[in-house]
Amino acid sequence: MAVAGEAPTLFLRKATGLVKGWSKFDAFLYSFMSINFVTLGLFFSLSVLGFVPTGQILSALLITGVFMTFLVITYAGLISVMPRAGGDYVWQSRVLGGGIAFVLAITGWWFILWYWAPVYANILNVEVFQPLAALFKLNGVTDFLASDNGLFVVCLITVALAGVVVSLGMETYAKIQKYCFYLGIAALGLVFLVMLFGSRSGFQSAFNQESAKLFGTTGDTYAKTLELAGGNKVVPDLGFSPFFGGSLLLIPFLAFWILYPNWGATLYGEVRGASDFRRVMSGMMWGLWVTVVIAVVFVLLAAKFFGWQFFNAANLAYWNVVYGTGQAAIPIWPYPPLLASFVFHNTLLSAIIVLVFGAWFLGWAGTLFLSSTRVIFAAAFDRILPERVADVSERRHVPVWALLLMLVPAVVVSALYAYTTNFRTYILDAVLVIAVTFFGTSIAAILLPWRRKRLYESSPLARYKVAGIPLISVAGTITALFLGWNLWKWFADSLYAVNNKTSLVFMGAMYALALVIYLVAKVYRRRQGIDLNAIHKEIPVE
Amino acid sequence: MRLFFVTDLHGSEICWRKFLNAGAFFKADVVILGGDITGKAMVPIVQRAGGTWDAALQDHHETLETEAEIERFGKRVMNRGYYPIRVSEEEYRAMQADEDLVDKRFKEVMLEGTERWIAMAEDKLAGTGIRVVACPANDDVFEIDDLLAGARIVETGDEDHPIELDGFTMVSMGWTNPTPWHTFREAAEPELAERIERALAHARDPSTTILNFHAPPHGSKLDNAPALNPDLSYVSGGQALRPVGSTSVREAIERFQPLLSLHGHIHESKGSARIGATLALNPGSSYEEGVLQAAIVSIDPKKRKVKTYQLVNG
Repeated sequence: MAVAGEAPTLFLRKATGLVKGWSKFDAFLYSFMSINFVTLGLFFSLSVLGFVPTGQILSALLITGVFMTFLVITYAGLISVMPRAGGDYVWQSRVLGGGIAFVLAITGWWFILWYWAPVYANILNVEVFQPLAALFKLNGVTDFLASDNGLFVVCLITVALAGVVVSLGMETYAKIQKYCFYLGIAALGLVFLVMLFGSRSGFQSAFNQESAKLFGTTGDTYAKTLELAGGNKVVPDLGFSPFFGGSLLLIPFLAFWILYPNWGATLYGEVRGASDFRRVMSGMMWGLWVTVVIAVVFVLLAAKFFGWQFFNAANLAYWNVVYGTGQAAIPIWPYPPLLASFVFHNTLLSAIIVLVFGAWFLGWAGTLFLSSTRVIFAAAFDRILPERVADVSERRHVPVWALLLMLVPAVVVSALYAYTTNFRTYILDAVLVIAVTFFGTSIAAILLPWRRKRLYESSPLARYKVAGIPLISVAGTITALFLGWNLWKWFADSLYAVNNKTSLVFMGAMYALALVIYLVAKVYRRRQGIDLNAIHKEIPVE
Repeated sequence: MRLFFVTDLHGSEICWRKFLNAGAFFKADVVILGGDITGKAMVPIVQRAGGTWDAALQDHHETLETEAEIERFGKRVMNRGYYPIRVSEEEYRAMQADEDLVDKRFKEVMLEGTERWIAMAEDKLAGTGIRVVACPANDDVFEIDDLLAGARIVETGDEDHPIELDGFTMVSMGWTNPTPWHTFREAAEPELAERIERALAHARDPSTTILNFHAPPHGSKLDNAPALNPDLSYVSGGQALRPVGSTSVREAIERFQPLLSLHGHIHESKGSARIGATLALNPGSSYEEGVLQAAIVSIDPKKRKVKTYQLVNG
C-alpha cells in the first residue's frame, strides 16, 4: 500500500528486453579476474619492490586503491549514461570525436594487444611451464623454455589459446572463467593457509632442501639469495612510513597490474535507474578492493612466512639475471605458490598446486583478444575499416577476419620478440598505451555533462553531484590526474624501465598508423558519399 | 533514393522528434520506423493529500508542487520512452492490486501516444515530400495498426500490404520468433515462414525488393543478445551473447536474395551483414538515452544497387 511520501513504483508491461539485470557477483568476477592478483600482481608488481628501496608497499597499495576508486566511478558513470556503447571507443567518439576515439581505441584495444601477447606468454612461462619443468627436473625443457625458441613456442601457445577463446565465444569462456575463479581462489586459500600456519624456519629449511633437489644448489640457498641481492635490507621492513615519498614511486609499478577493474561490465538492461549505476559500480569496486585486500594479506603472510627481505631479495635477484646485472641462487622466478608448496616435500603435490594456480592465468589470458573483436567490429560498422573485417563464419559464427587481424600480427610480433633482442626494448611501452586510452576516456567523462548535455541529463547519473559539480566530472578529473601522473613517471623516470626512446618512437608509430587509417578511410568514404563526421552528429529535436 | 531507417523507439518522444527531423537533416527521401513504436513502462505521478504529487524516475523520488514541475517531469519521462500517468492514491493502489487495470491503462496511453506521434508527423512532414513509414512490431499492441492505417502522412505496411518506394517494393513483417517475454506478435518458425511467404508473394524481383522484417536473421551477428537465465537475469553479467534471430528470416533472405534487408528487435546488436548478395542492417537502439541510432542507405534506382550505407547515432 502506498504511503504518503513513499516513492511510487513504475508499471511495466510484457515487452522484449525487460531483464532483471545482473548479479553483483558477475560484475565482481570480471573486475576481479582482470586485475589478476596472481598473474599481473605477483609477476608485474609485487616482484619489483626491491627496485624502490625507500618504498612501503602497504601505503602504496592503499593510495593506489583510493585513486583507482575514482576510475571505477568514472567508468560506472559512463556505463550508466551509455550502457550499450561497448566501451572506450564509443564513449570517446561521442564526446571527443571519431578521429581521436579511433586513434586511441584502436591502439589501446587492438594494436597494442599484439604486443601484449609476449607479455602474457612470459607469465605463462614463469608461472606454469617453467615451475612444472623444474619440479619434474626436465632440465632440457627448462633450458628450452628459457631459449628464444622456447619463448616463441610459448607465445604461439598463448596466441592459439586466445584465438580458441574468441572462437568459443564469450558465453563458453565466461563459464570457463567462473570455474577458474573458484579453482584459483581454492588454490590461493590453500597457499595462504600454508603461509599462515607454516613457520619461517620451516620454509627456510624446505627451500634449501628443495632447491638442492630441483636445481642442484648447495648449502644455505636462502642465505645466498639474500647475499646475491646485495644485503639484508633490500626493502624497508613492513610498515606505513613513509606514507608518501618513496612509497609513491611504487604506484606506477602497481598500476601495471591494478589499472583494469573497469574491464567487462558494459551492458545492462532497459528501464534502468540509479540502482543500476550503483550495482555496476559496486561490482567493480568489490573487484578492486578484494584484490587490494588479498594483496595486503599476501604481503603480510609473505613477510611472516618467507621473510620480507628474502621475498624481495629472491625477486630482485631474478630481475637482475633478466637484465644481466646480477646472479640468482635458483634458475627460475621464485613463484610464491611454488615456494610455499616446497614445505610439502612432494613433487606431485607441488605440481598440482602449480597447475591449479594456472586457473588464474586461464581465467585471465583468454580475454587477450576478446575486446579487440568488439573494437574492430565497431570500427567496421562505422565504415572506418572495411565491412569484411566484421564478417563471421556462417557455420560456427567465428569472426574470421577480425581473428586474423589479431592473430597474424601477434605471431609476427612474437617472433620478433623471441628472436630479436632489440625488439624486446621496442615494446616496453606496451603497458602505457592502455593507460593513454583510459586517460582519453577520463577526459571524455569530464566533458560529458557539457559536450553531450542531453545524453547526460537523461541518465540516472545526472543526480550525483559533488559541491554542485557533476560526479562524473570530479571522478574523471581525479582519474585523469592519477593516470597523467603515472604516465609522466613512466615516461620520465628510468626506474620503470619503460622510458626507452626507441620504444616511445615505436609506440608513436602505432598511433601514427591508426591516424593514417582514419584519414585514408575518411577521404575514401567521402568519395563514396559517406561522411564519417555524421556518425555522431546529433539530429535536432525541434 | 535515400532511406533513413530506425527501429525500436519504444515510446521515446525525443527519438520520434529526431526521426521526424532526420529526413531534412540527412537529406533522406523516406524515413522508416521498423517497429516497436510503443513504450514499455508507465510512470505514475501520484496525487497526495495536500495537493502535491509524488513520482520517481530512475530510482529518484521527487515531490512535485506546481503544474510546471509536473509538465517538466512528464517530458523527462516521455523522452525515456515511458508514459507519465497522473493518478490519485486510490487509483494507484487499485492498479498495484489489479493487473487488468494496468493493462487497460497501458492500452489507453499507447494509443494516445501513437495518435499524438501521428499528429506530430502530419505537422512536421506534410508538404515536404519526405515520406514517413512506421510499421508495428512484436512489442506493439494490435490496436495501433488501425491508427497507423488511418493516418494521412504516415504510411504503414505488413505482410499483406507492401509499400512501393520509387520503383522498389518494401515488404514488412513485425512478427518475430518466440521471445522469453511472450509479446504480442510472436510465432513459431513454421508460422513465421508462412507469413514471410505471404509477404514475399508481393515482391516481383529480388533486385527491387527491400525487406523490413523486425526479426533479424539467425546467426548473422545482427541478432546477438545477452543470454538469460530462466528468471530473466543475465547469464555471466550480460557478457554471454547468443544468436536469437529467426531461422525463417535467414532462410528467406538466403533463398530470395533481396537487395536490402532491414531489421531491429535486438537493440544491442547494431551492425551490417552480407547474406549472399543481400545487405542486411540492424541499426540497434538506444532509445532510453534519447540517441537515435539509424541506418542511412543510398540506393541507385537505375542500377538497382545499394550505393552506400552508414550507421549513425543521431
